Amino acid sequence: MSAVLVLTPIIIASWPAITAAVAGAASAMGMIVNEKVKEVAKENQPTSEKTVEVELSESEIIAASITADKEIVVSKGDIEIRIKRDQDGRCVVCAKGKGHSEAELKQTAEQFSQKLTQCYIYDKVMRELKSKDFQVINEEVTNDQSIRIHVRRWVD
Amino acid sequence: MAQHEVDITISKTGEVKVHIKGVKGKGCLAYAKWLSELVGKVKNQQLTSEHYEPEVKAKIDLEQNLAIDE
Repeated sequence: MSAVLVLTPIIIASWPAITAAVAGAASAMGMIVNEKVKEVAKENQPTSEKTVEVELSESEIIAASITADKEIVVSKGDIEIRIKRDQDGRCVVCAKGKGHSEAELKQTAEQFSQKLTQCYIYDKVMRELKSKDFQVINEEVTNDQSIRIHVRRWVD
Repeated sequence: MAQHEVDITISKTGEVKVHIKGVKGKGCLAYAKWLSELVGKVKNQQLTSEHYEPEVKAKIDLEQNLAIDE
């Protein structure tokens, strides 16, 4: 054993990288991507549904990679989740759904943002490991929903 | 040739635990730097005994010689 590190993820990504992670997270949570990249609906539509917003504090969506007012919409049953870039460039997850309490919507939005982060980090780490010629020895999803990757490489 | 192994666990919240194995000396820090730049911020880091083992014996000899010259 040489070193053990615990790392807190930071997402600094282009919009295409975010959409890929959203698709992965939606699939893992049994959600459907309704409209891959949707223009934001006009704000003047009246709605009685509660909306809860969760911001990924350690995130930045690169402005040059996204045109204004773009978002991705995913859903499961009557809960709809929108993923977008806020004015400060952060990634924001909004959940809404009729008949659901604010607490339920907040929990769903937080679960989705965590899964989104996990998928984003997984994609990034795997891409980098392959570029450095690591061989994947084992890969598994554990009981606590963690992804465990065991890699190896030989060096001179 | 040396075998370098890395065990990476991405928790359901996205936090990443990395266990670097078989890498001695400064090589271990290079791995740690590479992975932390890739993922984000270091929350915790523990170096173990293997880290302090010499990477290459010749290098240690050279350092010892330099120490004597001083």
